[in-house]
Amino acid sequence: MIQILLWLPLAAGLVCFVVPRRAVPAVALLGTLGTLALSIALVIGFNSDTVGLQHTVNESWIPALGVRYQLGVDGISLFLILLTALMWAGATAFSIFRMPERARIYFFMLGLAETAALGAFLAQDLLLFVLFFDLMLVPFWFLIGAFGGENRIAATTKMIVYTLVGSLLMLVAAIATAVLASGDVGHISFSLADLQANTLSTGSQYWIFCFFALAFLIKMPAVLVHGWMPDAYKAAPLPVLALLSGVLSKVGAYGFLRVVLPLYPNATIHFQEVILVIGVAGIIYGSIMAFTVTNVRLIAGYSSLAQLGFITIGIFSLRPDGADGSVLQMFNHGLVVGAIFLIVALLWERSGSEDLTRIGGLAMRAPVLAALFLIITLANLAMPGTANFMGEFYILIGVFQSKIVFAFVASIGVVFAAYYAIRLFQRTMQNRRTENSDSREIGLRDALVLGPLVACIIALALYPGFILGRSDTSVKTTIAQTCLTGAYYNLSSGNAATTKVGVRCPSNPFDKSGPPPQLFTSSISGSTAPATTTP
Amino acid sequence: MSPTAWGWLVLGFPLAGFLVNAFGWRVMRGRTAGWIATIAIGLAFVCAIGATVSLLGHSESDREVTSSLWTYASAAGLDIKIGILVDPLSAFMILVVSGVSTLIHLYSVAYLDSDRGYSRYFAYLNFFVFSMLLLVLAGNFVLLIMGWAFVGFASYALISFWYRRETATKAGMKAFVINVIGDVGLVLATFFIFRELGSFDYLTVFREVPQHFSTNSGVLIAICLLLLVGAFAKSAQLPLHTWLPDAMEGPTPVSALIHAATMVTAGVYLIARMYVLFEQAPTAADISAFIGLATLIFAATCALAVTDLKRIIAYSTISQIGYMIVGVSIGAYAAGMFQLMTHAFFKALLFMAAGSVISAMAGTQDINRMGGLRKAMPITSKLMIIGALALAAFPFMSGFFSKDEILGYAIHRGGFYVIFAIGGYFAALLTAFYAFRIIFRVFWGKPVPEAQELEHGHLAHAPPENPLTGEEEDTDVGFPGEEHHIAERDRPMWLAMSVLGFLSIFGGVVEIPGLDNVVENFLAGSFLDSKLYENLPTVAADWGGLALGGLISIVGISLAYFAYVRRPGTTAALIRRFGPLYKLFVNKWYFDELYDAVIYRPLLAVGRFCNDVVERVVVQGIVAAAVDVVRGVGVVVRGAQSGFVRAYALLLIGGFAALGLYFLIAAH
Amino acid sequence: MTVTWYVVLSAVLFAIGAGGVLIRRSPLVILLCLELMLNAGNLALVAFSRAHGNAEGQVFALIVMVVAACEVVVGLGLIVAMYRRRLTLNVDDMRSLKG
Repeated sequence: MIQILLWLPLAAGLVCFVVPRRAVPAVALLGTLGTLALSIALVIGFNSDTVGLQHTVNESWIPALGVRYQLGVDGISLFLILLTALMWAGATAFSIFRMPERARIYFFMLGLAETAALGAFLAQDLLLFVLFFDLMLVPFWFLIGAFGGENRIAATTKMIVYTLVGSLLMLVAAIATAVLASGDVGHISFSLADLQANTLSTGSQYWIFCFFALAFLIKMPAVLVHGWMPDAYKAAPLPVLALLSGVLSKVGAYGFLRVVLPLYPNATIHFQEVILVIGVAGIIYGSIMAFTVTNVRLIAGYSSLAQLGFITIGIFSLRPDGADGSVLQMFNHGLVVGAIFLIVALLWERSGSEDLTRIGGLAMRAPVLAALFLIITLANLAMPGTANFMGEFYILIGVFQSKIVFAFVASIGVVFAAYYAIRLFQRTMQNRRTENSDSREIGLRDALVLGPLVACIIALALYPGFILGRSDTSVKTTIAQTCLTGAYYNLSSGNAATTKVGVRCPSNPFDKSGPPPQLFTSSISGSTAPATTTP
Repeated sequence: MSPTAWGWLVLGFPLAGFLVNAFGWRVMRGRTAGWIATIAIGLAFVCAIGATVSLLGHSESDREVTSSLWTYASAAGLDIKIGILVDPLSAFMILVVSGVSTLIHLYSVAYLDSDRGYSRYFAYLNFFVFSMLLLVLAGNFVLLIMGWAFVGFASYALISFWYRRETATKAGMKAFVINVIGDVGLVLATFFIFRELGSFDYLTVFREVPQHFSTNSGVLIAICLLLLVGAFAKSAQLPLHTWLPDAMEGPTPVSALIHAATMVTAGVYLIARMYVLFEQAPTAADISAFIGLATLIFAATCALAVTDLKRIIAYSTISQIGYMIVGVSIGAYAAGMFQLMTHAFFKALLFMAAGSVISAMAGTQDINRMGGLRKAMPITSKLMIIGALALAAFPFMSGFFSKDEILGYAIHRGGFYVIFAIGGYFAALLTAFYAFRIIFRVFWGKPVPEAQELEHGHLAHAPPENPLTGEEEDTDVGFPGEEHHIAERDRPMWLAMSVLGFLSIFGGVVEIPGLDNVVENFLAGSFLDSKLYENLPTVAADWGGLALGGLISIVGISLAYFAYVRRPGTTAALIRRFGPLYKLFVNKWYFDELYDAVIYRPLLAVGRFCNDVVERVVVQGIVAAAVDVVRGVGVVVRGAQSGFVRAYALLLIGGFAALGLYFLIAAH
Repeated sequence: MTVTWYVVLSAVLFAIGAGGVLIRRSPLVILLCLELMLNAGNLALVAFSRAHGNAEGQVFALIVMVVAACEVVVGLGLIVAMYRRRLTLNVDDMRSLKG
């Protein structure tokens, strides 16, 4: 089933080339809806208590290089797969209602991109992951370059080159990992499970971590390496932008959880504070920019930067609650930002502009649109009562118990978020109508796309445990393994006096003479003593 | 039925009302939406009574009943349930909230009749009541935060209800952002509590606090201060008070409900609810009381000078909430909650009457343009006078008993707590004065043209405009409707106001010192572990304090009578004499300007800096630098491509020769 | 006679040809010098063929002649075309390939 899920979008895209012109939208939509149905089935059939991967596929692919075709789902990737399928279905439907020229190429590229994204989430082999990660870029080059707005070629070139720099460094690091890890085992293997078992020496881990981190931070994007973002966001067509911001950015964050934390635990712990600083800086900087710029796409883009900052600090709190929050927030944010870009498209159609100062008063004859936009805005600012708040709550409580100062600074970002989100809503929907603003109610077809997204937002708001419950086991395992392997005890509740004790890894990590580390102890869930075995 | 079953119903009816109005608005004609909303809240009130009665059926020490519907999230050791706690304190609050809300809904049915956003208004109003009830009934910190935020959102939505008015949307934004600051305070406090005690549940936390924390421990003080940030943001105390006067941009019933009777009391409720923490950290409680004291004096001075009718009442609210904060911070929990109840009655009444007056004045809110409305508006004037008497704590009105009980308790506690009593009595004098400033200005004196028109039976009309800026408007969606409604003509309005008038006069009978202590006895079930609850002044001391308060009130009213009716030029002369002081008061002690200069403008400047400098230089600079480096290398390499054929030939021959030589030599 | 003399003669011819290619500016002369270089190679090939006593070198020399002939056809054709269009016949002025 996983294989069908993975390759169906690409297959649908290829079929688009052979069917007559009028059938192309239907084929594309069916492809995405099929994927969505499969991913929903995946979620329903998921067993929340299993430790380890489910629905695995393990074939030999390039034996000479040790690359295997390995796929698998666990709690961390489950909802990202659902998010991908959902967002792609929405974006495809939205595109169909505004048919682009050269539709065949467009939908084929969308299908290819979806397969690549799904592949990145499903891959359990390092080289396969890097392959899908880089493959994701190719269709976006075409989608933005051929179907985008003005300045599209320059924007997409910038984005591709920027991201590629990181990706190529990541490729080098990946190959180095496999080669170094195979040192004493004999044969080389890229399989994540094997690499996790043979951790590298601390020195190698450091530089490899830096390369991987750079690649993922560029993808998200994080502050200072976000130079590609403003141009790409202004040039991309809106459904494509929804996917770029909603799903592709999550691959970066997911990469941290899937690849970096398990494979380079010592480096993770060593660089924890650096990444936390980058994350918090992103939150503050992104929020400040979001309430300064007037281009609505950039407002959404910078708010995305801030939200990804939250997700990053959640992961790097190195606590199960923080990481749980990040997984939840990845899904939430993808949903919300996709919805926001669809709203931006609607705003543009009603006012001909993407500049806040030229839009206004659109709510007057469009109460349903205003209501939907308001719900999305509230989710965006993570108002308590929404699932986004639960995600931020978990993230912040994790960071709070791990490194309290960062939590306090990040909380300022929460206040800023309220300001920029409401500002976007008010300046476009409320206040006086501007000259070229045509307050039109949302059409049925657009409502059919936006409605289910908003319904998902509300449903999750009522029960965020749906995601948290299913992701908890995998997240706990990953964090526990990282902390254990890196000998990092992060205690909190119970007694305020026992704060964390950071212990550096022993100098010979290849000394396997001691007892094997406990993979999953029940201790890292709150208030009891640390595991007593050290590697 | 168990108290919690009633509790769920109390929550359910307003939520149902909200959903019906939100989804069915297109099919509802006329006032249907209003009646549906009012009936929904009325049913909630009935259920609140049911919950109280059911609770009274439990023994005195067993009145904390919890129930949870579903587990919201339980990953990673956090266990968050959707659970409510019904105990005397929450029962008291839901009675007050739902009761006063029903009356305000009733008033609104008529007041907003011609507004194009009628159903939207009632949907939001029901949602607000639902959120407030959720806040009060919450049984754990996370649900409290959710209710807290929903209330803030509802407040924002209702303040910027007339959303095409830029002053209204700005005011809504301000209220919302300050509310979020409060939210963040609450969230951080919750984090601390979870880190120390491992639970979010109220009863568990309250049980553990005395054992886990020593008196005045640093962490506990931090927790309490963070809770205070939340409380003060919601209750508009210094320094987070600036949103409340601006919130008067919303329709008047909204001001009555949210910014007088219910939402702003959430802070008081919070401190009372968290009494275990505050009693274990007396320093934080004292800080809270001092801020309350400062606020109540500050707001009273502003109310003396400001000229917008609704804003005077708004500052009066801030001041009265200050009393309540002082009350619950120094340990007079029952007195503070009692004041909460009576204040809800007379403040809502005052706002309702103000709405009626503003309608009669065709939308003007400036009291300098009002006068002599007594004859034209008999019902409104009488009810407003009742409200003002209660506000001024005139002897035997409800406000008399409640306010002076707090001050009596302050004197009883002795030590430096006497300061609160002194400050409180001083502000009481100011309160009486400004309460009757309103009355005498609006209803006494020579009738203004609008009043004369009304005496002849004709309601004044004026082209729609923004009362603050005078900007032109229309009466379509997003602006107020064309018709204005006054109490004399609309039955729902005077009915609601009369009930509140009755309660303002007789609401004090439940807590007459020496006679009965209904509120105190009822609330005791929530304060079982309190060391301060039982420590009450004697009946004689109580009556002494009450007598002093009554005397001050009469003096204040007389001064106002003297200044406004007997010698009309007095205030003008005082303004001239105390010019700078007057300017300070009228500009609300320049708080808005201060925040603008210290927070708002610097942030905007930082934003501009980031946009212009950081983005351009740093971020794009990295990209530009990389491009330049690559281009530079390219330029250097290009040098070899000269297009000069002979150079190519030379390279060819030279290279070949070198290779040949290399192999020749290497072979040897 | 040892083969050395022939090889030396071939080298000298080759050097003269290479020098001509590098120094002269007329494409026709460059072509002539190119021919000189090719024929120097031919000389060396034949000499070695004679020295080793088999015919391989001579066969290869014939092939080289064929290649030279083809290349001269193309080169002369280009020169004639350029002359007919009145383009410059100075190799230094043909710089369109400048990067």
